[in-house]
Amino acid sequence: MNMQTSLIKKALSNPLSLAGFIIIMFVFVLSMLAPVVAPYDPNYIDVKAILLQPSMQHWMGTDGLGRDVLSRMLFGGRISLLVGLVAVGISTAIGILLGALAGFYRGWVDTCIMRIVDVMLSIPSFFLILAVIAFLTPSIINIMIVIGLTSWMGVTRLVRAEFLSLNEREFVMASRTLGAKNARLIFTHLLPNSLTPIIVSAVLGVAGAVLMESGLSFLGLGVQAPQASWGNILTDGKEYIQFAWWLSLFPGLAILITVLGYNLLGEGLRDALDPRSGSNR
Amino acid sequence: MPPLFSLHNSSILLLTLLIAGCGAPSDQQNQIDYNVSAPKASGGTLINAMTGEPSGLISMIAGESASSAISSNIFNSLLKYDKNLELEGDLTESWQISTDQKTITFKLKPNLKWADNQPLTSADVLFTWQAVTDEKNASPYASDFLLVKKAEIPDPQTFRVTYAQAYAPALDSWAGLQILPKHLLEGKDLHTTAFARKPVGSNYYKLDNWKHGEHLMLSRNANSVLGPAQIDNLVTRIIPDNSAQFLELMADNIDLMGLDPIKYSRIIPARPELLKKLALYKELGNSYTYMGFNLKHKPFDDVRVRRAINYAIDKQEIIDGVYLGLGINIASPYKPGTRWSNPALQPYPYDPAKARALLQEAGFNDSNSDGILERDGKPFSFEIITNQNKEREKSAVLIQRRLKEVGIDVRIRAIEWASFISRFIKTGDFDVVVLGWGLGLDPDQYNIWHSSQQAPGQFNFIGYNNPKIDALLEQGRLELNPDKRMVIYHKFAEILLEDSPVIYLSAGYGLTAIHKRVKGIDDPAPPAGIGHNSQDWYIPQSLRRNEINTQ
Repeated sequence: MNMQTSLIKKALSNPLSLAGFIIIMFVFVLSMLAPVVAPYDPNYIDVKAILLQPSMQHWMGTDGLGRDVLSRMLFGGRISLLVGLVAVGISTAIGILLGALAGFYRGWVDTCIMRIVDVMLSIPSFFLILAVIAFLTPSIINIMIVIGLTSWMGVTRLVRAEFLSLNEREFVMASRTLGAKNARLIFTHLLPNSLTPIIVSAVLGVAGAVLMESGLSFLGLGVQAPQASWGNILTDGKEYIQFAWWLSLFPGLAILITVLGYNLLGEGLRDALDPRSGSNR
Repeated sequence: MPPLFSLHNSSILLLTLLIAGCGAPSDQQNQIDYNVSAPKASGGTLINAMTGEPSGLISMIAGESASSAISSNIFNSLLKYDKNLELEGDLTESWQISTDQKTITFKLKPNLKWADNQPLTSADVLFTWQAVTDEKNASPYASDFLLVKKAEIPDPQTFRVTYAQAYAPALDSWAGLQILPKHLLEGKDLHTTAFARKPVGSNYYKLDNWKHGEHLMLSRNANSVLGPAQIDNLVTRIIPDNSAQFLELMADNIDLMGLDPIKYSRIIPARPELLKKLALYKELGNSYTYMGFNLKHKPFDDVRVRRAINYAIDKQEIIDGVYLGLGINIASPYKPGTRWSNPALQPYPYDPAKARALLQEAGFNDSNSDGILERDGKPFSFEIITNQNKEREKSAVLIQRRLKEVGIDVRIRAIEWASFISRFIKTGDFDVVVLGWGLGLDPDQYNIWHSSQQAPGQFNFIGYNNPKIDALLEQGRLELNPDKRMVIYHKFAEILLEDSPVIYLSAGYGLTAIHKRVKGIDDPAPPAGIGHNSQDWYIPQSLRRNEINTQ
């Protein structure tokens, strides 16, 4: 644990990754507090207030059905974060499992798993997701599962590589010589020591998942009406981009900033991890 | 002409005669005063845009509005409608109906020619009738023409059809059938022939160039059977995205497009520089939006449930909120103000209390106090599906809200058009749809409501089966006296409203912006719509695009 704590400390001493961390916390807290801070019910329709410009009543204006964009943004943030975290949770769990199997047992297990990874990587993931979603009812749960199930390959490779190299280290060999069982080797020695790169890739993965969810919702294949998500607010704005700029600008900025936040933090963690980039110290 | 699904509310009629291409935007043109009255001059290019590319230009095979929008510039029918929607001759000089009402004799105009200089005769008409009724062509328009018992051509200028019994919509059906050249198509498979992309017709224009995914260019047909059109070239650009089309309109690269209510009443009026060059037109279209129940699914087989939902929906709210007031309430499936629309009928008022009472009567109660009604322990919950059309999606959201207030849980799903039709409509795998009907001019709606029209791909996909309606529809087809026919269809609409197999949401206005360089447009629009005289529209020399001025 100590290693992780110092890693985070080291990462946060970098101003950029600190900024990323603050952005993420800011978005996170606002989304969690959405029911408290949102000025209106995000689904409250007021046909007399269609496409109003940002004003004191509606800080981010209203959409094509007179709903308050700020409230929808806040609730949409919850969706984005939820999808990001759950999807990455799924993909990381699969990645660790398969990576560990491949890296630990090697041989034909490794060959099989890595060929599956190659096949999955050869299909552009966005199109794969589009194809899968076309067969399912679009819903948040399906989106989370599908994104999770199609983005575990990177983690698998990472974990496998870590395991392969750790397997050859003295402390693992020592433990093995002392008669440790496979489970003990994996869970007390190999996995904890591979955790840091997994965290980095998970943080970066959240950025990808948020972007993916927004993209799917933008195409109408993600979160369904009337539930708000940044992606589908953006779709509503597309038609009126020259007129109702607030419908495109705010969700666009929110996606940009959130993805940037995760990327900055992820990059910062990676730099902190890499012994060759000690200059920040 | 059987009704078509309409994808967009924007007027289909309009697209029929108009068009699009590429022109470099030029800044000087902003200085031009387009309001000047300039002398009428033939020539110039009109540029139009459409969202979907036609699959081919034989409209009886394609059966889609994108195809007929272009092909109606190229082909003629036996009859057509004038500006007041009265029938007049197109290829036909005169026509006669026998005293027993079963035989119609069409006399073609003399010396008709195809664009390739071959004579156009009654043999072509006979060939076209054979093609539309040929089973292997599987034309969606076949049913009207299958009623013809006998078709003959006593001489090259005469075409005679005999029906087994009098058929009221007969003349209208001939106005919708585009006549094809026998000499180019005989023995060819209409589904695969190259003719669908290189048509030879007889109308004002001929196809010059079709660049897949980009544009179709039409130019004047010297052999036009109706005389020359004013504008030389019609260019239709394929621009799938509506907002991209609007950008092109603002950049002066297209001359006209159908608008949605927000563009019509909010965006354009807010920009004086656009009003300087664009004229806005508004006309009540021949189409309406509805919410249709799958009557084979419970609980929609119960008329009390359907009426309850009808009372629970605030239609005026949909018109105000979605159409910004640019639509009207309807109580029958006919264009308001026409002879066929029953003026005595009133739409269901918004009355949630009545809705709740009816639902309770039908056995729905909120037994577990979760705000959602249940019957036999099952919550009242269903899914509305619609195609990806902004107005329809928004209407569904408003419906969802109102139904929740009376205790019905609604989910919404918007699906891309092709899979919407093939996976849900044709298989009957849906609870409730929000869709639109575009209607022909004849009041006959046999295809939509008759219980025999429920096979996959047919139009009665909601599974409506009412013997009284069936009888009226059959009667209406046989009655040729317009006044008696009107009584039949008024009664038909009355029963339909009571039975509520669909809920009429609104009839929206067709909204169009046309560049002011285009002159000769009737305003206000006659009953046939502004596109009715597009062959007489003209673009004065001084107002044409630069690249045309310099030619």
